[in-house]
Amino acid sequence: MSLHHIVVTVNGEKREAEVDSRLLLVHFLRETLGLTGTHIGCDTSNCGACAVIMDGKAVKSCTILAVQADGKELLTVEGLAKNGKLHPVQEGFLKKHGLQCGFCTPGMLMTSYWLLQKNPNPTEAEIQRGISGNLCRCTGYVKIVEAIQYASQKMRESNAQVQTK
Amino acid sequence: MSDNLRRLVEGRGQFVDDLHLPNMLHLKLVRSPYARARVAKVKGGINGSEVKFDLVSVGEGASDETQTVAYPVLASDYVNYAGQPVAAVFAEDLYKATDKIEEVEVEYEPLKPVVDPEEALRSEPIHPGTKSNIISSVQLGKDFRVPNAYVELEEEFANERIITDPLEPRGLVAHFDGSRLTVWASTQSVHSWKEGICDCMGLSADKVRVIQLDTGGAFGSKSSLYPEYVVACYLSMKTRRPVKWIETRSEHLLVTHQGRGTRAKMRIFADRTGVVYGLKGDLLVDAGAYPVGMGAFAPGWIGFQVTGPYTFSHALVNAKSVYTNKVPLGPYRGAGRPEAAFFIERMMDLLADELGMDPVEVRLKNVSGEPFVSPLGLRTEPFKPFLESAARELDYQNRARKGAVGFSCFVLIPAIQPGESARVAIAKGKVKVWMGGCAHGQGHDILAKVLVSEELGVPEACIEVEKGDTDQLSEGVGTWGSRTTIVGGGALVQACRKIKDEAKKALGDYSSDALLDHEFDAEVFFSRREPLNSFGANLVSASAGEFGVIRIDECMAYYDAGRVLNPAMVESQIIGGSAQAIGQVLYEEAKYDEDGQLLAATMAEAGMPKAQHMPRFTIKLATNTSSPNQPRGVGESPTMGVPPAAVRAIEKLTRRKLTETPIRPEDISSKKLAK
Amino acid sequence: MIPPRFDYVAPRELAEAVDFLEKHGDYAKILAGGHSLIPLLRFRFASPKYLVDINGISDLEYMRESDGHLHIGPLTRYVDVESSKLIQSKYAALSDAAGHIADPLVRNMGTVGGNVCHSDPANDLPAVMLALGASIIAVGRAGERVIPAEEFFVDTFQTALKPTELLKEILVPIPPARTGNAYLKLERGAGDFPVVGVAAQVRLDEQGSCEAVGLGLTAAAPKVLKPKRAETFLEGKRLSEKEIQEAASLAAQDAQPVSDIRGPAEYKREMVQVLAFRALQQALERARGGA
Repeated sequence: MSLHHIVVTVNGEKREAEVDSRLLLVHFLRETLGLTGTHIGCDTSNCGACAVIMDGKAVKSCTILAVQADGKELLTVEGLAKNGKLHPVQEGFLKKHGLQCGFCTPGMLMTSYWLLQKNPNPTEAEIQRGISGNLCRCTGYVKIVEAIQYASQKMRESNAQVQTK
Repeated sequence: MSDNLRRLVEGRGQFVDDLHLPNMLHLKLVRSPYARARVAKVKGGINGSEVKFDLVSVGEGASDETQTVAYPVLASDYVNYAGQPVAAVFAEDLYKATDKIEEVEVEYEPLKPVVDPEEALRSEPIHPGTKSNIISSVQLGKDFRVPNAYVELEEEFANERIITDPLEPRGLVAHFDGSRLTVWASTQSVHSWKEGICDCMGLSADKVRVIQLDTGGAFGSKSSLYPEYVVACYLSMKTRRPVKWIETRSEHLLVTHQGRGTRAKMRIFADRTGVVYGLKGDLLVDAGAYPVGMGAFAPGWIGFQVTGPYTFSHALVNAKSVYTNKVPLGPYRGAGRPEAAFFIERMMDLLADELGMDPVEVRLKNVSGEPFVSPLGLRTEPFKPFLESAARELDYQNRARKGAVGFSCFVLIPAIQPGESARVAIAKGKVKVWMGGCAHGQGHDILAKVLVSEELGVPEACIEVEKGDTDQLSEGVGTWGSRTTIVGGGALVQACRKIKDEAKKALGDYSSDALLDHEFDAEVFFSRREPLNSFGANLVSASAGEFGVIRIDECMAYYDAGRVLNPAMVESQIIGGSAQAIGQVLYEEAKYDEDGQLLAATMAEAGMPKAQHMPRFTIKLATNTSSPNQPRGVGESPTMGVPPAAVRAIEKLTRRKLTETPIRPEDISSKKLAK
Repeated sequence: MIPPRFDYVAPRELAEAVDFLEKHGDYAKILAGGHSLIPLLRFRFASPKYLVDINGISDLEYMRESDGHLHIGPLTRYVDVESSKLIQSKYAALSDAAGHIADPLVRNMGTVGGNVCHSDPANDLPAVMLALGASIIAVGRAGERVIPAEEFFVDTFQTALKPTELLKEILVPIPPARTGNAYLKLERGAGDFPVVGVAAQVRLDEQGSCEAVGLGLTAAAPKVLKPKRAETFLEGKRLSEKEIQEAASLAAQDAQPVSDIRGPAEYKREMVQVLAFRALQQALERARGGA
């Protein structure tokens, strides 16, 4: 009962492993799967550096057991870009200088990604609230909010284009 | 677009915890639950009976002065702060290593800790064999007499201790392969770490190599030598296996050097027209349990800055630092400059109130259009033109009329001594650059590319800025104190010019293409004799919301950073620094109870600000006509200017005199304020 | 940072979970959202032998009205409570509270059942349960029993649930017309646990006088607190600012706050009064038909 076989889809790929009951999802991603883009910034579920998408929702992977991810679909920062093309949130963070040291960035990106899925045209206040589970020490958040606004606009424009085709 | 930043948004960062080496061990520390105790017995683990090194003071704010008190890497007789390491355990697996902590048995005999720095002055020494708890005591300036009919104002101020809290905790991987020790580090300075490891462990320089990996912020916490680094190196030397140690956030809160922690009693003397005559200051620095970090250096350093940019003709400062049973005090963004600025700026506001004058008007009466040397030795370039511009650019008059605003101004002394090194090497059509200071978010790669491309005429695309590596750069200082663009940049430029000289001798007239076709390698250590100032001013407004909760509404900055190589980067730095300043004023405190137990158990409790706490920012960069090509440093400017301006704004809003950071809600709460 | 060892089971049926608890309840902890439990495990403040993950049991996430009650399934996530139009319209205290727990990512996982069973005085939902007069259905091998909220919260981290029982459902009486409720909390800056919080429900009679009041206080005592004197004071009266002020004062007097990193006890008591006043005002406005 202490070792469990799990099957998890990560960034579109099926991954299987035997994991200890107590293995945290963030360690499963980083250590077992070698996906070190997701970061660990705290041990009290405050900082959000570990944020990933699980079955469509942004969650803190440090507060979830790997066994809980059995049968689920995960998206990590490594899965955002498609065929070498950056996702609009990634582009936004680069264009608007939404990062300095880059440590909080993967978590911020995943939360932004989820936020824009839920709310494609968020106000500044909605963005601030949306990232209230993600801490940053370097940027003071202003450029992160601008990055998300940039991505929001880009995504709405390209959706509008798709619709007019 | 920076390749570095692109790599980071793709999730391809390589931080220390991302490094995996074959056969690697995970290290965990067993720590004292008591703030002060005699260690009666340690059973198990690697402990002080085996590891007998004492820590040395290196990095920012380090001081050779006082090694009178030994700071053992693993405590064996006494522990003097909660969290002090007593033993180490390890395993191949992080989870098993964590389990092993419980296998170590330590018997403590608790002693009464000294927590309050004023109490430390009076109480018996916490370290056996010392005469008192005073680490350093400095007197600056001279006593003076004050003419009659002068106004005298006395006030006490405090900046309570703050937890640094970069998003990436500290960590390293150490690997001794039998002949050399290689350390991969999250650091501000590979050379400080190397110096510290060599000195502490008695290793010769050729035996140690320190390499910087991506570093997730530091803010002062990652240049000193800490016990865990030495234990990791020791364990690797013992086992010949790579050893990884990564700090948990809980450990960071508890045992990474904290910042600020300074109190001041200031007495100002001025005539009734607002012209200041003299200043007397008594400073007390809460240095924590051991003299590493900044504790020994801080008193003199803060003390000499407490006259700010003002033309005091007389000053006397007595500054002390004391041992307390807390984690040692270290540099934290600003590292003494914000404390000095807070004390003098608050004092000038209160003097203005006392005289019934406008605070900017009083300041303008006390700055000069000429260079000025204070009675404490602080050299200021002409400040008056800057202050006049600042008041204008920040629209002070109008804003002061309309609401509760605070204004501040300051002279930032960048830490340019002793200088910095850089190496530029051209080979195979590429230009590789190494800088002595290790970036941790400041975008050195961007800075280096601009300067090198300017000097050598080569395209930025062929320039590669390498991470710090003591094998690739023979000496270096570090990234802190708003210094890198000035001295790091200076070194880069000199290294490029050295190459140009060599190229001229070798090739005669040459094109930049020709440069790339040949090989050159130049390393330079650049120092600047004359001190340099960076001036700044802030205007901050605040309001009270639901339940009397204060928020900062607007934060305006007018900074003279000299030559700005990358405006987007500088703006980002200013916003980030301002966020930390707002944290200091409203949310952050490393609060201890009377047993020396840290009450902040999480980042949230330590007070990290969030996006919704941020004000509207307006940032204006002054053009410095006196030396337009000289960068002046700006990284720490917000931590100097924003706290006193914010506190003043809140003071006006609440009509209460406010002399401390943080401003705690209960200190200003009033049912009238809560709408 | 790293949890201690434990065994993990994930029953697919409620009956399976109940059977397991019957055998191993004393050494087991239920894993629902995990955002109270897993942090406890990471600090080794709890070392259960078994974790019983109930997330695989179907039909435990719901909010539906029937038989005069709102029925809430234990696995209902905070995010769904926050955004539910049904909850926002009649049980606004619940959506107010759920929408301000921690942060959006935590709200994606955390559950109503978990929040209630944890009985952390700093958790927000127990106060709402008290104010709304909720009951908890506990299920064990012997069957189900209904526990009124007032009896459910026994002490810090202690509820009336036996180790062999599971929270099956929460029942909230459907508020009659002219009822309004609200939840307010004071945070000390950073998405941290609250300084204090107040839940209030006000029911008016046909003449507009106060018929019943329910109150609950968060982070103001070793467990969630029901300030009865304030409730009794308001019943039967026509409510103006004066009465509400007095009730708020009574609620503050009943509070038993402690000094800690979130502030001194006296400050917390003062803020209970401020929040109680505002929460009652808001509940009253909602009862009268306003927002």
